[in-house]
Amino acid sequence: MTVTDGTMEISKETLRAWKEGSVEAFEEVVRTAMKRAYAVAVGILGNAEDAYDLSQEAFMAAHRAKATFDLERPFFPWFYRILRNRCLNFLRKKAGRREVSIDVLIEKPGRSESPEKGVMRKERAEALWKAIQDLTPEHREIVILRSFQELSYREIAETLGISEGTVMSRLYYARRSLYGKLKDICDDLYIEGDDAP
Amino acid sequence: MSCNRIETDGMRYIDGEMTAAEKNEFEKHLASCVECRRAIDELGRVERLTGMMRIRDPQDDFWEVYWKKLFRRTERRTGWLLLISGAALIVLYALWKGVTDFGEITFVKVVTVILTAGFIILLISAIRERVHQYKTDRYKDIER
Repeated sequence: MTVTDGTMEISKETLRAWKEGSVEAFEEVVRTAMKRAYAVAVGILGNAEDAYDLSQEAFMAAHRAKATFDLERPFFPWFYRILRNRCLNFLRKKAGRREVSIDVLIEKPGRSESPEKGVMRKERAEALWKAIQDLTPEHREIVILRSFQELSYREIAETLGISEGTVMSRLYYARRSLYGKLKDICDDLYIEGDDAP
Repeated sequence: MSCNRIETDGMRYIDGEMTAAEKNEFEKHLASCVECRRAIDELGRVERLTGMMRIRDPQDDFWEVYWKKLFRRTERRTGWLLLISGAALIVLYALWKGVTDFGEITFVKVVTVILTAGFIILLISAIRERVHQYKTDRYKDIER
């Protein structure tokens, strides 16, 4: 039997073996979840090095706390709470001294790749990344989970332990804030049409 | 549909989370509500911008190192815990024997005292370091 977390699948047998102490199963769990864990941590923290360290520490904490994991529940929401608490606690301690990496966000490949448009793409990505990093952590994680992890509202609600209504509301205010900061870029993109990239 | 539902229905519309019937109903509302139409237009542009982006994937070797480093960290932590626990037990046992078994001073007893003293010094040093780490640990308040 397989417990599904969006696009992530870890078999119940693997999770049971992990709970019973199998290193191979732990490796499989980590290898399945590490990309999403790292990407979400980068999104919340804004910094690739911190995301590397904290996502690893979250896996270590999850490994120590594996006895409390319920096999009937999906892995990622349980793990995400450990990761999220670490990230938010880290940000609280770092208040005002947060270092945001650049070059984290990139545009998906488009149809035209002229050097001029390449520069424009890079600037657009950096502006969006900066605007996302200026959001509150709660709004930032919603944008990361929805736009970059492509989770459904139900999956986000389950991951964060909130209602779908709260997911939508946070997403609304996050997008309002992003539009306020990126109005020119959003409007230019719209005027340029589908071939803009 | 009430305009104050733009926060919820508006998001569901933009993100394609509506059924065909709900979408149809919401589009009827949009046709008659300038405010909602403008909001959907603006927020849809944000969604379009974010939809064009992705978080850069590190190279494959990054992930190989990621697991290996994580495994080493987990293994070392377990090793240190076992070592410290074992040392503490030895020290406690030696202390108990020293206190309860008085007799003539033998070479074995002198060596035991020296070993015990060494363990005590190391243990105190390790505890002091752990206390210092705990006081300055950024993650100590984390709930699991």
